[in-house]
Amino acid sequence: MKWVNIIRDRIRALRQRETVINDIDREMRLHLELQVEANIKAGMSPQEAREKAMRSFGNLNRAVDAAYDVKGGGLFETISQDIRYGVRMLAKHKAFTSVAVVTLALGIGANTAIFSVVNELLLRPLPYRNAEQIVMLWEVTPEGRHQNTTSRANFRAWRAQNTSFQNLAAFTDQRFNMTGAGEPEELSVQQATPEIFNVLGVDPLLGRTFRPEDGEPRNTDVAVLSYGLWQRRFGGQANIVGQQLTLNGTKFTVIGVMPPSFQFHIKSRSGTGRPAELWSILPMPVGPGANERGRFLSVVGRLKDSISANQAAAELRTIEARLSDEAPEYNKNFSAEVLPLRDQFFGNLRRPLWLMLGAVGFVLLIACANVANLLLSLATSREKEIAVRTALGARRFRIVRQLLTESLLLALLGSAMGLGFAYLGIKALVLISPRDLVSLQGVGLNLMVLAWTLGVSLLTGIIFGLAPALHVSRLNLNDSLKEGGKSESAQAGGSRRLRSALVVSEIALAVVLLASAGLLIRSFIRLQQVDRGFETDNLLTMVVRVPDSRYREDAQFVNFFGQVLERTRHLPSVRSAGMVNFLPLYGGLGSATGFKIVGRPEPAPGQGPSTDVRVADAGYFQTMGIPLLRGRNFSDSEQREPKHVILINEALARKHFPDEDPIGQRLDVEMFDTPQPAEIIGVVGNVRYDSLIDESPPAVYFPHPDLTYPFMTLVIRTDGEPTAIAPAVQREVRALDPNQPVSDVRTMNQVMADWVSRSRFNTLLLGLFAGLATLLSAVGIFGVMNYSVALRTREIGLRLAIGAQPRQVLLLVLRQGLLLTVAGLVLGLAAAFALTRLLSGLLFGVEAVDVTTFTSISLLLVVVSLLACYLPARRAMRIDPLRALRYE
Amino acid sequence: MMPTDSRYEEIYVAKNKAELLQGTLDMLILKALSLGELHGYGIIQRIRQLSDEMLNVEQGSLYPALYRIEQKGWVSARWDVHDTGREAKFYKLTRAGRKQLETEEAGWDRLVLAIAKVRQAT
Repeated sequence: MKWVNIIRDRIRALRQRETVINDIDREMRLHLELQVEANIKAGMSPQEAREKAMRSFGNLNRAVDAAYDVKGGGLFETISQDIRYGVRMLAKHKAFTSVAVVTLALGIGANTAIFSVVNELLLRPLPYRNAEQIVMLWEVTPEGRHQNTTSRANFRAWRAQNTSFQNLAAFTDQRFNMTGAGEPEELSVQQATPEIFNVLGVDPLLGRTFRPEDGEPRNTDVAVLSYGLWQRRFGGQANIVGQQLTLNGTKFTVIGVMPPSFQFHIKSRSGTGRPAELWSILPMPVGPGANERGRFLSVVGRLKDSISANQAAAELRTIEARLSDEAPEYNKNFSAEVLPLRDQFFGNLRRPLWLMLGAVGFVLLIACANVANLLLSLATSREKEIAVRTALGARRFRIVRQLLTESLLLALLGSAMGLGFAYLGIKALVLISPRDLVSLQGVGLNLMVLAWTLGVSLLTGIIFGLAPALHVSRLNLNDSLKEGGKSESAQAGGSRRLRSALVVSEIALAVVLLASAGLLIRSFIRLQQVDRGFETDNLLTMVVRVPDSRYREDAQFVNFFGQVLERTRHLPSVRSAGMVNFLPLYGGLGSATGFKIVGRPEPAPGQGPSTDVRVADAGYFQTMGIPLLRGRNFSDSEQREPKHVILINEALARKHFPDEDPIGQRLDVEMFDTPQPAEIIGVVGNVRYDSLIDESPPAVYFPHPDLTYPFMTLVIRTDGEPTAIAPAVQREVRALDPNQPVSDVRTMNQVMADWVSRSRFNTLLLGLFAGLATLLSAVGIFGVMNYSVALRTREIGLRLAIGAQPRQVLLLVLRQGLLLTVAGLVLGLAAAFALTRLLSGLLFGVEAVDVTTFTSISLLLVVVSLLACYLPARRAMRIDPLRALRYE
Repeated sequence: MMPTDSRYEEIYVAKNKAELLQGTLDMLILKALSLGELHGYGIIQRIRQLSDEMLNVEQGSLYPALYRIEQKGWVSARWDVHDTGREAKFYKLTRAGRKQLETEEAGWDRLVLAIAKVRQAT
């Protein structure tokens, strides 16, 4: 119960100081009087008795104070004294205070902003019940491709054979055309088995979610709406449940609405690239005709209570091995993996985010070093004050506490302002964050972030305050009182060493940041310079998706798209137009499909070559500027009806026909129910479809009649600004079919920019932090040199008086600054050599230790610090020897 | 400030002399109170009596120690009327205090024994 008593006493002491002191006083006075009476009884005169009693008591006031200290009042009292004194001190040195506060605010603000993102993405629980139990289940292909979707047959086997999961659900993202009420619109739909909401552990806002019986073949016409769709298309009608809507020509009944916070979007594996607005039942047909083996399902599961993701993964691999034995023609060499949901969502962000947090940590350390330096120079000019206080009996601990209180005050002021910076910083982050960087909308200054900021500011207050405080409290009284703290005493020498050390570490930290930012910038430039295989300027793209239910015959699709292109080509300012099913760098699933070369020996199951498969027309290659290297392009007749012809890319030609002419060879690509060999009529240039970083894999292009797709992406090369033509194209599509929506209208440059946006984001942020770090260290060098010149005024005056040239004085100062810079540079480069390895995953086309980058940032830093030294050096040069010598 | 009117050399027990002595002072206070409720002055007198006038606790040290002991819950305090008719604050040993006294006495005995052994060794 001890601490309860202490707290009770302390609170009482604080709130009722008078009462507590009175109590103590009363008690002691009684004591004194009893002593006096006793003394008189022992035969002393009253006068003598009183004197003796007082003497034996010691100083009454001090005794009361000491007792009050125990009661706790003392601590609070002195703290409030310290604070009042600190505030006066900061108010007196306004310039110092504002520079220190702004410096700290920059550091703390950057920290808070980045931490709020880290907190949102990496620390805060995901918005699902017991989210740590939720995992994704994927296959790994024989080629080692991770997070591959699985088939209905394998999903059923997983579900039936596992003992690790409470529940599993399969889903796939689709786009459905919604018609009926209002404009026709393409919706992003998540088709899922009924368990999905159970697995995720979310309840609907209205109505209900799926029940197991919704999965029965005849019951699947039910739909759950997202909050957004409900608001947007149905005006948030309360009676929405039970209403009908038409998707791809089929009627669905709305059974529920999800809460606004609910979303489940596996961006990297989503075929739509957009979060779902509607959930419908994924049909799971069995028997002949059902697509049992096609791999298109994503699977999410909830682990049983005591099972870890690793245990579940081990079991899943066992099941997968069994499947491989049972059906080698489909599953040979496939493996499986289990990924915790947070890793699935943010796994690729973890490293960049921690790196950014590290970077802002460095910025904050530099800010601390700067403020410590400022405090030191201030403290040195306060030497006399502190010496007087020490002489009057202040203990060292008391002085340190006083100085620490001041630095904590500074830190708190800095973090208050820093929170303002952070608020703006977060707004800016959300604005410039890449579209695919999940949603940063939820990021903000919440309690957790505020707690972090408070913690950081207290810590920084101690970090930058402790060294100067300890240093000053060690002052030699005599020296300080005599010298008045203006000339260079032994202490000032010690302080100069400390200050130099601080500046050297600032520069070293800045070097590490600059090196990292430099590497990212070079990677970014390299990324822009990659030969992507096509021309991006003046290119408009848009997706046209015809519902499967609209046409029965392939020829009708072919005809529709042919007409769209024909009409588009006749629009003014359209130079050429073409189409492809999936654009380069569009994201989505680039599935590898097996193929055989006709006339070559049959490979073992699972061992055959694979290729990327795309559907395009002749105009696509012309419009994109993809060169035809050999043979010919598709002819008009080949684009009207199936003639079993294909184009291949250079990579496929190189890999599979290194020594022969591929033209005229026939490939059997496994896209069809029955083998359907097609003749290679030409070879086209490589295009970076999946990413700018990886080399292009082999690719095959089918003309539309051979491999009909219900949706195609139009590519239109224009004479002027490409977006200007978009409405006209949309009008042409509507003219052909008034119910036909057009989506994803973007220029190719926008597609590219989206793809590099994360890289740009990282580069921009780190560049910003490195710039901040450089600026702060420049301020640091300036401060130190300026102060050093002030301290050496007399010495420099003497030098000038005995004939030194101003130029020599200038060099003297510059040399001193350069020495510090070089020391910091050496330390920083050493650290950068060790640390930039952490960046390796984010770099492209540059090594983690890049001589060019390291050299240029070193030069930059030297130039910046020389500039920072120049002002103090000029001041030194202009010192008037006469005045300097008289100055004391 | 050494008192001269004592037949024996007095041992001054004061808080800031040494850390070791603080525990000793606590023990002396607890011991004094173990014989009955007392006010501050009474505690000092009783320690004097019990030590044959050898131990004189400085008042300035007594009260901080007393308050600390009170916070630890070893003694409880109340205001009451003193024989002289004036109000005085009386301290009384609590059960926890009694236990603490036993622990400290045992510790002290061990220390004395240990020191004695060391001294006999010479």
